[in-house]
Amino acid sequence: MDKRREFESIVREYSEQLYWQIRRIVLSHDDANDVLQNTFLKAWNGFDNFHGESKVSTWLSRIAINESLDFLRRNKHQGSATSDDLSVANSLLADEYFDGNETEAMLQQAVSQLPDVQRTVFQLRYFEEMKYSDISQLLDTSEGALKASYHIAVKKITEFFKSRD
Amino acid sequence: MYIQEKVGKRNPFRVPEGYFDNLTAQVMQNLPEQPKRRAKSVFMRPIFYAAASVCALLVAGAVWMWQANDAVSSDSIQAQTAVQPQQQDASSEYMDEAVDYMMLDNHEIYAYLAEN
Repeated sequence: MDKRREFESIVREYSEQLYWQIRRIVLSHDDANDVLQNTFLKAWNGFDNFHGESKVSTWLSRIAINESLDFLRRNKHQGSATSDDLSVANSLLADEYFDGNETEAMLQQAVSQLPDVQRTVFQLRYFEEMKYSDISQLLDTSEGALKASYHIAVKKITEFFKSRD
Repeated sequence: MYIQEKVGKRNPFRVPEGYFDNLTAQVMQNLPEQPKRRAKSVFMRPIFYAAASVCALLVAGAVWMWQANDAVSSDSIQAQTAVQPQQQDASSEYMDEAVDYMMLDNHEIYAYLAEN
């Protein structure tokens, strides 16, 4: 099959799944769309070097998550740093592509205050119910360390809510 | 689990209408016709290490000769006349040996660079 057509069928199959992985990390639709385009651009440029060492979905998710975390790091100055800052929740509630309630926005606020790995593990485990073994391949981190990160993330988010009850 | 009871697992994010219908076409439109091959870094090329070895050898030789000359100049003229020819012989012998060992001349290095 022609290389470009082969890649197009990969885009068709995985773009929606990747979009949601990215969107849960970067939160806004426009940012998620930009990061997704970059993800496929990187995948296309590395397509000749991909020889099926891992599953296509794993290969693409690794690129997508790295691109999402790079995006967050580049825009860190815009993110919230203090626990009293509710800018993420407020901007989500004003976003036309977010139809969650206040509690759901507050969950995203709490998640946005976590360090990168805890934040990514929480999103993949809590919302996508991904296995630790699969997350381990995506993040190059041991399953034990990921379980610990998830446990800490849950604890911090719980404390975030309880302190506001 | 506290979070699940409090918030649930619903996906609260939405996308513009028809976004996923056009996504594949949009992605493909943004890709160059051919994958952009990443240029191999100079550090990955064998010629880099060959050239670095030759440079290191030349610098080491030059330093050794300079030190040898320096040591000689601080000695007496008598000692100089006795020692210098021996050292010069040793230096040129060393360089001849190095060139023989590498079996390279400028033309060969240029030809190798042109091939790569």
